Amino acid sequence: MKLVEAAAVLLVVVVVAPAVRALWVDLPRTGTKCVSEELHNKVVVLADFHSFFGQNDDVNHTVLPSLSVKVTSPYGNNLYHQEKISYGQFSFTTTETGSYMACFTVDSEQNGGKTVTVGIDWKTGISAKDWDLVVKKEKIEGLELELKKLEGIVQAIRDNMNYMMSREMDMREVSETTNGRVARFSIMSLGICIAASVSQSLYLRRYFRKKKLI
Amino acid sequence: MESRRRLRGARVVYTLLVLLFLGMVNLVSALSVTVNDLECVYEYVLYEGDTVSGNFVVVDHDIFWGSDHPGIDFTVTSPAGNVVNSLKGTSGDKFEFKAPSSGMYKFCFHNPHSTPESVSFYIHVGHIPTEHDLAKDEHLDPINVKIAELRESLESVTAEQKYLKAREARHRHTNESTRKRVIFYTVGEYIMLALASSLQVVYIRRLFGKTVAYNRV
Repeated sequence: MKLVEAAAVLLVVVVVAPAVRALWVDLPRTGTKCVSEELHNKVVVLADFHSFFGQNDDVNHTVLPSLSVKVTSPYGNNLYHQEKISYGQFSFTTTETGSYMACFTVDSEQNGGKTVTVGIDWKTGISAKDWDLVVKKEKIEGLELELKKLEGIVQAIRDNMNYMMSREMDMREVSETTNGRVARFSIMSLGICIAASVSQSLYLRRYFRKKKLI
Repeated sequence: MESRRRLRGARVVYTLLVLLFLGMVNLVSALSVTVNDLECVYEYVLYEGDTVSGNFVVVDHDIFWGSDHPGIDFTVTSPAGNVVNSLKGTSGDKFEFKAPSSGMYKFCFHNPHSTPESVSFYIHVGHIPTEHDLAKDEHLDPINVKIAELRESLESVTAEQKYLKAREARHRHTNESTRKRVIFYTVGEYIMLALASSLQVVYIRRLFGKTVAYNRV
């Protein structure tokens, strides 16, 4: 019986813990609130969200607000779309580089007047890794698991650094091209200016001579 | 016998709970929001004395010819209501503070200008078990403290990387804008120049038109 109680407590903690862990955002009464993140290719995204009325999550909520949630990719593809829900979870792996946006809209027909707060737990990359699967597969636990997590974080740091180096290289090329172009176009513009004024003078001289004014 | 079994059961549960809490304290959130006037996000700090660190960068929108971004204001309010940290008129910065109390902290971005800005921010709450926690709970080794410290250092590296990534994105945006401006404005300049000189010639021709020729006779 003690174990059953303990299991119940653990279940409650596991359910409540994500609620405490999330980032909370206020939703406006009308309109949409969007959060986004710029991600590159092949990144795993795992997100939990839950909503409630009011500012605090302490109160026992019997009525939950109903929201409409939409997650879009940078090219406009719909990754997740649900209407009239209060909490849920979505996950996807990115296939395009760009800004991924999750938009929350409060359904207007419910009792407006109370502020709606959404708790979003948005995890990307190494934070989204399912460690329970690793524990089951490789049967490690405790300190070894902690060290394996640290190793994963270090690997993610290294990958990030490599990615940023390649981006910096691209940007450097664009900068240098622009630099060359500025010099070239300025000299060309000077040349065109001189050519225009010379041709103007020559044409007018020829015109006045023809008209017997000179 | 019965009491010993009950004690062992309680110990198991307690260990599981402690491990769960240890795994739980990795709070990371990295997101972008659009700030029209005032946008506030809330983050829960579990323990008093936790280090809350983070950074934010205002993503550049096309400023026409201001030389520098006007910037936004950033305020952190503790659950008791007093302002813990405040930055004014920046286009991106890092922040770090020790939480004076546990509870819900409010991070607010205020945009004093009329154009909506997009802010990319990252907030991390880090907890390292202290001597007090070690004394309270006999299942926590000193090695857990070391592991927590290691994890916090790695998280700070990750936070720095996210900040650099956001800054690089802004820089890239400016670069792209410069490239487009160079091409567009130069071609426009050539066309305008050609147009201006031909209009000048046409005007002078009209000035010295037939009337002058007739007068000369």
